[in-house]
Amino acid sequence: MAATMVSSAGALLAMLNETHPQLKQHALYNLNKFVDQFWPEISTSVPLIESLYEDEEFDQHQRQLAALVVSKVFCYLGDLNDSLSYALGADSLFDVSEDSDYVHTLLAKAIDEYASLKSKAIESNAEEANVDPRLEAIVERMLDKCIMDGKYQQAMGIAIECRRLDKLEEAITRSDNIHGTLSYCINVSHAFVNRREYRREVLRLLVNVYQKLPSPDYLSICQCLMFLDEPEGVASILEKLLRSGNKDDALLAFQIAFDLVENEHQAFLLNVRDRLSVPKSQSSESVQPKPSDPEPTQNENSTASEDVPMTEGSSVSTATVQETDPNEAIYAERLTKIRGILSGETSIQLTLQFLYSHNKSDLLILKTIKQSVEMRNSVCHSATIYANAIMHAGTTVDTFLRENLDWLSRATNWAKFSATAGLGVIHRGHLQQGRSLMRPYLPQGGSGGGGSPYSEGGALYALGLIHANHGEGIKQFLRDSLRSTNVEVIQHGACLGLGLAALGTADEDIYDDIKSALYTDSAVAGEAAGISMGLLMVGTASEKASEMLTYAHETQHEKIIRGLALGIALTVYGREEEADTLIEQMTRDQDPILRYGGMYALALAYRGTANNKAIRQLLHFAVSDVSDDVRRTAVLALGFVLYSEPEQTPRIVSLLSESYNPHVRYGAALAVGISCAGTGLSEAISLLEPLTSDVVDFVRQGALIAMAMVMVQMNEASDSRVGTFRRQLEKIILDKHEDTMSKMGAILASGILDAGGRNVTIRLLSKTKHDKVTAVVGLAVFSQFWYWYPLIYFISLSFSPTAFIGLNYDLKVPKFEFISNAKPSLFEYPKPTTVPTTTSAVKLPTAVLSTSAKAKARAKKEAEQKANAEKAAAAAESSSAAANTGKDKSSNEKDGDSMQVDSQPEKKAEPEPSFEILTNPARVVPAQEKFIKFMEDSRYAPVKLAPSGFVLLRDLQPTEPEVLSLTDALSSTVSPAGGSAAGQQGSASAMAVDEEPQPPQPFEYTS
Amino acid sequence: MDPKLAEVSQLFERFKAACAREDVDTCCNVLSKLKVLLTGFSSLPPLFEDTPNAIHELTLARDIYEHAVLLSVKIGDQDAFERDFFQLKPYYTDASSSRLPPSSQEYMILGLNLLRLLVQNRIAEFHTELELLSSTALENPCIKHAVELEQSFMEGAYNRVLSAKQTVPCKTYDYFMDLLAKTVRDEIAGCSEKAYGYLSVSDARQMLLFSSDNELLQYIKELLLPVLYESL
Repeated sequence: MAATMVSSAGALLAMLNETHPQLKQHALYNLNKFVDQFWPEISTSVPLIESLYEDEEFDQHQRQLAALVVSKVFCYLGDLNDSLSYALGADSLFDVSEDSDYVHTLLAKAIDEYASLKSKAIESNAEEANVDPRLEAIVERMLDKCIMDGKYQQAMGIAIECRRLDKLEEAITRSDNIHGTLSYCINVSHAFVNRREYRREVLRLLVNVYQKLPSPDYLSICQCLMFLDEPEGVASILEKLLRSGNKDDALLAFQIAFDLVENEHQAFLLNVRDRLSVPKSQSSESVQPKPSDPEPTQNENSTASEDVPMTEGSSVSTATVQETDPNEAIYAERLTKIRGILSGETSIQLTLQFLYSHNKSDLLILKTIKQSVEMRNSVCHSATIYANAIMHAGTTVDTFLRENLDWLSRATNWAKFSATAGLGVIHRGHLQQGRSLMRPYLPQGGSGGGGSPYSEGGALYALGLIHANHGEGIKQFLRDSLRSTNVEVIQHGACLGLGLAALGTADEDIYDDIKSALYTDSAVAGEAAGISMGLLMVGTASEKASEMLTYAHETQHEKIIRGLALGIALTVYGREEEADTLIEQMTRDQDPILRYGGMYALALAYRGTANNKAIRQLLHFAVSDVSDDVRRTAVLALGFVLYSEPEQTPRIVSLLSESYNPHVRYGAALAVGISCAGTGLSEAISLLEPLTSDVVDFVRQGALIAMAMVMVQMNEASDSRVGTFRRQLEKIILDKHEDTMSKMGAILASGILDAGGRNVTIRLLSKTKHDKVTAVVGLAVFSQFWYWYPLIYFISLSFSPTAFIGLNYDLKVPKFEFISNAKPSLFEYPKPTTVPTTTSAVKLPTAVLSTSAKAKARAKKEAEQKANAEKAAAAAESSSAAANTGKDKSSNEKDGDSMQVDSQPEKKAEPEPSFEILTNPARVVPAQEKFIKFMEDSRYAPVKLAPSGFVLLRDLQPTEPEVLSLTDALSSTVSPAGGSAAGQQGSASAMAVDEEPQPPQPFEYTS
Repeated sequence: MDPKLAEVSQLFERFKAACAREDVDTCCNVLSKLKVLLTGFSSLPPLFEDTPNAIHELTLARDIYEHAVLLSVKIGDQDAFERDFFQLKPYYTDASSSRLPPSSQEYMILGLNLLRLLVQNRIAEFHTELELLSSTALENPCIKHAVELEQSFMEGAYNRVLSAKQTVPCKTYDYFMDLLAKTVRDEIAGCSEKAYGYLSVSDARQMLLFSSDNELLQYIKELLLPVLYESL
């Protein structure tokens, strides 16, 4: 068809002026068709069409048509508000399903409008928003359409945005994959719902939906309940699962408990634990169960079939006693297990074992640092001690300190304090032995003749670090120490220790003790007391904040004010809008230190929410405040607000990182370091790179530390810049003319880079995308090291082991293999540094290695009988396996040697295998998680398909004896273990005798 | 023949007859009916669908609108003229390219429109319309007439404008020529108001090109009444 097109809408517009109504209709009808093309022409006649719309005499349908035409013209003119109001006039003629720019634009506008009206109404607490019913109708039409078309995610998004929980529920229940939609919805509600209150409503709804499902997903329900802070719900679910006869349910309960523990919400976990009902214990069993009690009668019925000879009813009383026993006993047994898990002890113990057995820290690096650092330079000296502590965090390996007692003794005063506290980091999680470990340094009750107050204070701090967030056992001791001393250094250590141990418990008694320490008005003790109060009250938003604020105004000591400012900030952790008044109060204060605290309050209240308002406020302070400290902190705080979306941070702070003000540059570096910690994000590295060679020394320091935080656990294979960075660190450390500040940064950076024996990363979010309280708090206090170096140790709170630890029903670690579908070299440990002379390669083992691929296949079949040496070679890449079999017999240097030999032929002679087999428990770095696959024909099946963390395994062949690794491996291979890791363990060779590594021999300062 | 088309042609015949009788009321009524009927044809603008009777329908519709334009001139309704002309225009500009043979009345009506714009002193639109015309169209006496008029008007050669009334290419132009004379007079009056402190009646009569003093006084009355009312 030779399409003849009209060139102008003039004719139609002229027709509108005709008197006959039918002509007007015709014109309108055609105008509506051609409006997309002729809107500029029509726009001049809009008043005319508007008058048609308002003409009462005109036919209803025609009026709507007129409204539609006007709406379209306004839409093209970019006047969306008018366009929307006329579209509402068009009523049903506005077709939401039409696929045109106009409809899309207006729909978006309508939904926005509706959402903003709704949320405004809720914010102002109006009972019912005066929303135009027509607008509501459009949005509902859109929602219905989305649901009809199967676009559930879209519908959910709109429903959440518009606060239409009824529609949200409808969308979820009508979707074909309810579990998928639900988990999507949870993610969305965390990522996009800004108001905390509303998010709770959404989650509550989700819990309801979950519970209605035929097969509830208890894992997700419990996560939601945790966010809602409803321990009763979690407890009842756990109890139900524990009481079930099915072993799998118990496994699930354990898994839930582990997942909850990962979020480190101490107060909540304790609540759950206390709410689990006590089993009818042995003592109460002697008392006859009353017949009215439903529990035993049920049991009777269920188990009656087992006890064949028993005649029902003949001897009810005796039967119940016998029959309730097994069920109750099982429950009691399970209860003890789950209590262990909930208290965090199980996971801490397993983690400790994992970190100990897989420790790969490189003592040579430390040795190099130690040699190059000048004796008289105390900053670098203590930096080395810090680095050592961080490097061995949680591994219990203190060889370095032991071998260098002489050197260590140079630490005096506060350096001694931190040297002692460093032991706490190294032995972090060593709950049972912590006290005995530190005994030599602890204040000796009353006598006071012991060591110097510095090492005593440090020891108390160390106890806090060991028991961080799990301080049940140690709290009392720390309180006593705090009360019985009036030496401010000891008070300082005790305060920090108490704060750490009782993190987030809001214990009134402890608070009072700390308060009395604060009111002594001594600068050193007061500072720690302020921080400690905050730690104690983390996230409670309690009234105490105003009390602290008052004291901050009264005192003259800057140190105390600073401690209190941080403490106040900690109390509002995660409270979002609730904290706004306090934040406002602090950020408007005259005192820059309190404003500085306000920045932290903003950071912590809005941690990981990427809340736009908070970001805007922080950016405002970052460029406008008169105090450099406040500006630095404001930028740094961005890192906390954005850690849930690390990709955003480099973009947001990129301009600030080029600021003329070195404090702002420093803040930008740390912000990136905090939010991108452990991600190895390429943009983050690119942003930090230039800063590591900044002209100002402390910017270099910050950038080096931040870089190490970003790159933690990466090796050269995944990003070549890691190697460059390591060389840069070495160069800075060795350079005689480098500034002390950046040298210190470099030393700390090398510690963080290899933190926790190269088996931990910095993780602020749990796998379920919840924030990890301890980790965030740890980093927040860590960033205070600018003022007070001993706070560096707080970074150890944010370390989480990168491990897959599979557990069986007995919470033991069974032998279990799974696959990592990636080149082994991508995620292997960084090669240990070597002394140049040892590089002459020994070609001998190559022959073995050439068959390594075959060996792997064979190893799978006859893994049990296989000679250990060959096994080690096969799993050379997953060198973790080697440690399990206890055959890692090479000393440090030799180990380096063989490692090199291993890798050389792998890379050059043979194509690298595209996968590797990992053995439980295995190191799985975050980037590796997506490559993890479980074998289908394996004996164990994971309860939850999680690529890392604690995973409960279902035993598919329960009759066969289980082969355990880790715990048993450690105890059964005592003799080789003596030689194993010998280079690292040194004198601590006897450690492996127990299930727990034993405490090292005490050492004393010779000063 | 399509019954609808037949009905329209029949009605159109009645319309023409009424026109010939100078029966204006019937004309308007019938025309209105015709226009409504025309909306039923999809071959007409703006749709231009390719129906079998397209050419015939187009021709008929164009005829009707041409008559409508002429009728509006006859009854002196400028708004109706504008409406009808705009509705007619697509037949000239858009339909002619493909199928429709050009109409004999085209230039005459285009010229009329130009004249109307001149009368209403809408010079910008006048030139826009002019730009749209082809060079052959500009040669046409009807168009040329309007163009020359505009030139004289702009130069201020008002006598030439008034004398051009004698050389109209078509008698339908008379209506607008009369109006044009009034437009010219208004212009002159506006200028003289600014230019002279006082003016004798005879001079004014000469300047405003009236043939008698009475006409002049009548004109002045019309001009001044609104001013007087305002001052009251």
